[in-house]
Amino acid sequence: MRLALLLALATATLAAENETVFRARIRQVVEWNAAQPKPADPNSGGYQHIAAKLWLRQDAEWCSRRLEALLKDPAGDMFWMFPMTAIAYLGRDQLSPSAQAALRNSWKTYMPYRGDTENHWLLYYSTLYLMAQLYPNQPGETWFTGKSSSENLREAEGWILQWMDLTLTRGQGEFDCPHYMGVYLLPLSYLAAWAEDPRMHRRATMMLDYVIADYAAENLGGLYVGAHARSDDRMVLEKWATVGSDFGWILFGLGHPLPGYSSYGLFYCVASAYQPPEVLYQIATDRSQDYTHRELKRTRNRWRYTDVRHAPVYKTTYMRRDYAVSSLQGGVLQPAQQHSWDVTWALPDPRGVHNTLFSLHPYNSLESLQEYYTNPPAILFDTISRIRTFYDKPDKLLGGSPYEQIFQDKDAVIALYDIPQGTRYEHVNGFFSKDLSRVEEHPSGWIFAQGGSAYIAWRSLAPYEWRPLATGSRRLVSPHRKNGVVVQVAAAGEFADFAAFQQAIVGLALKTTLDPAPSVRFRSLRGRDLEFVYGKPPRVSGAPVNYQAWPLFDGPFLRSEKGSRKLVLTHGPLRRTLDFNDLTVSDSGRP
Amino acid sequence: MLRSFNAILAAAFLAAALRAESYRMYASLNTSRGYVAGAKLLPSGLFQLQSGGEWRQLGFNHPLVVALDYDPRDPRILYLAAGNGCIRSADGGNTWRIMTGWEMTELKDVSVDRLQPDHIYVALPDGIGVSRDQGRTWSHADEGIRRKFTQAVRVDRTRAGRVFAGTEQGIFRSEDGGRRWQPAIATEKTVLQIEQSPGDPNTWMAATERGGAFLSRDGGVVWKPVPGVPLGSVLSNISFDPANRNRIAIAAWGPGVLVSEDAGRTWLARNERLPKGEVWRVAFDPGHPGRLYAAVHEERLYVSDDGGRIWRGSGLEGSVVYGISFVPEGKP
Repeated sequence: MRLALLLALATATLAAENETVFRARIRQVVEWNAAQPKPADPNSGGYQHIAAKLWLRQDAEWCSRRLEALLKDPAGDMFWMFPMTAIAYLGRDQLSPSAQAALRNSWKTYMPYRGDTENHWLLYYSTLYLMAQLYPNQPGETWFTGKSSSENLREAEGWILQWMDLTLTRGQGEFDCPHYMGVYLLPLSYLAAWAEDPRMHRRATMMLDYVIADYAAENLGGLYVGAHARSDDRMVLEKWATVGSDFGWILFGLGHPLPGYSSYGLFYCVASAYQPPEVLYQIATDRSQDYTHRELKRTRNRWRYTDVRHAPVYKTTYMRRDYAVSSLQGGVLQPAQQHSWDVTWALPDPRGVHNTLFSLHPYNSLESLQEYYTNPPAILFDTISRIRTFYDKPDKLLGGSPYEQIFQDKDAVIALYDIPQGTRYEHVNGFFSKDLSRVEEHPSGWIFAQGGSAYIAWRSLAPYEWRPLATGSRRLVSPHRKNGVVVQVAAAGEFADFAAFQQAIVGLALKTTLDPAPSVRFRSLRGRDLEFVYGKPPRVSGAPVNYQAWPLFDGPFLRSEKGSRKLVLTHGPLRRTLDFNDLTVSDSGRP
Repeated sequence: MLRSFNAILAAAFLAAALRAESYRMYASLNTSRGYVAGAKLLPSGLFQLQSGGEWRQLGFNHPLVVALDYDPRDPRILYLAAGNGCIRSADGGNTWRIMTGWEMTELKDVSVDRLQPDHIYVALPDGIGVSRDQGRTWSHADEGIRRKFTQAVRVDRTRAGRVFAGTEQGIFRSEDGGRRWQPAIATEKTVLQIEQSPGDPNTWMAATERGGAFLSRDGGVVWKPVPGVPLGSVLSNISFDPANRNRIAIAAWGPGVLVSEDAGRTWLARNERLPKGEVWRVAFDPGHPGRLYAAVHEERLYVSDDGGRIWRGSGLEGSVVYGISFVPEGKP
């Protein structure tokens, strides 16, 4: 009894401390932004700096003047709408009448493009909702939509609710993006801060828990570990250099924020500055136990060449203190920026470090892009190649392929490739970081490497060669259409030394074939018999993996059944149940 | 004999009527190279040709206005197919109202039923949308179409509720205002545009993405491949010359402007003085017999007064022109 009381008291004290330091981080982000405008330069200062000053209730006159100047030439579509909305709310009682009028008028005279994907639409509709709420009972001619305040509000609410429901029942579309997580957290933070409808407010707050939980279970020292629906050619290598690092630090004090903080982080802070509950703090920071975490996600809208609008994405992540391994099942599940699997090793300071390893088939095609984009066919490929300069490069390190299939069990990954002849690129790329502390090619055919405290064994199923990358890292190139990779990771602490790890790996049963289809039979380091044949369901100890039964979330910390609209967060005695069916939040194990 | 005499007479009347009528010319375009959502947008959206030959932007700056149609009862009422939805303007394009809701995005085409002008159809990435009350309310109308990506929609101007849709799997036809659809012809690639001949309502033509063109001479029941049209090129659109029923033009990506003077039997490339063969749009001007416009990718709009033999610049520098439309002046 006494022990339980002491434990409860300690947890309560910890929670209180966390809140204090959380609020200090919020203030740090806002104050840094507020200090950026140069007083002597009338053109210095952007929307985020105005918002920061308004939050701090500083320099209302400067904010008004600068806002009016910036509003002479609005641009940025939905990325303009979110700073405007925050400024409108924060400046209600601070901005000058003329600045307020300019702001209001800009929603009449400037038509932001609604965009073509979920993060665009969520920004667009959450801000339109809030602005319609702020300026109620105004006629259509005062809004760029031509619709009245109540029409705008109803339409926006309709989109928001259906997005939430789709996400809660079938998974997020732009899932687990180290950059775009900010674009989802921000509108939810806005709605949690400013939605007057108590049900919308509650939904948004619960969705914040939901989206933050998704990240909390899959971060390693603040880094969002792969796989990702969307990444880019820099952040897929330097996993720290993402908006996720800001949120890891803001929300949980993990890792290192970006220099200058992202605007998403700033606007999150000046809106709700929602602090996740203690159970999420524990989930995000506790890596004392190893765990497998599974998630069901979905593709973004697929418009053609398929009967399935949102195909399922089956994600597996294995987390340990020293490293994480994460994957999805392969295929083209996103148009250009998909990151299908990787190993991420933990570091005390990952800034500037490429602490990752993975493989892929550098695939691209017009048809694949057309599945997801509705742009005219004559220019679509060139448009995407211009925006995503890596898209049509043979040495690219980002993107899915229809000829890649992936299976993961704990910290073993098997990626198989069966690339048809005539495909634009017929080779497989492997990324070997400049920051691996060692890489050894063993006579057995295994490549052994070490990153941080992670030992990594890599086995290519076909011959390969090395090519340098401009970043100082290396690309393993295997120019064979039938191909594959087996990777087994372990913690350095599990073995007496690197040689012992090598010996253990070489001793594992491994049988690979390439014809008629690439296949692998592998006894993993964890004693599991893995069997994977390209085109067939993988098997673990003889039993096929049942993708049909894949839950929305499954692991020691997060549990949710597909279609349930219910997520249970658990850590030790702490438990929070988010039930979106009746909009209830139940906590237990509270101090 | 009598039938062909009647057809000639009808064409002559039409030509006379066209000459008597004057038109407003609109272009829907984007001038921001490589625009992506969130980027600074240069003047883009709806433009109207002024009497002095210059172009004036109307309404909002918008990156994706791709097509336009009008209410024949009052041609000042325009319907725009746009990225943000179906936009209605009651004053010739100056003021806008988005008529559709969140359910309809990235519209590809719009067509007003000439005989039931309250009925408006839009082509959508996920099917076909219809409004039967001038855009106030909308519903999906694509039952019978399995793969729903729809790039083109046209209503038969002679039969109310008879609608053609160009989808990723071919042309579909509805006889009941979009309630049910049946396949007219299957295609390997997406149908990008469908047009009805102004001279002969039974003649229809469709352009596809790298699958050639198709022609129907029986009101859209039987469609046949058009000979002599390149199969490997994106054919963005088709224009019938309202003043010459045998003359048809196609905008092709690569081959440029293709013109037939024999109702589609043979085709000639007419690209002299065009800077390149990447052509988005062609359009015959109903107010000026023989005048043909061609929009060249990120170059400018060109005009020819001899059916495409000689071209000269006509403004809209650096633009991608998604649509060219001619709307009758004033009330009919």
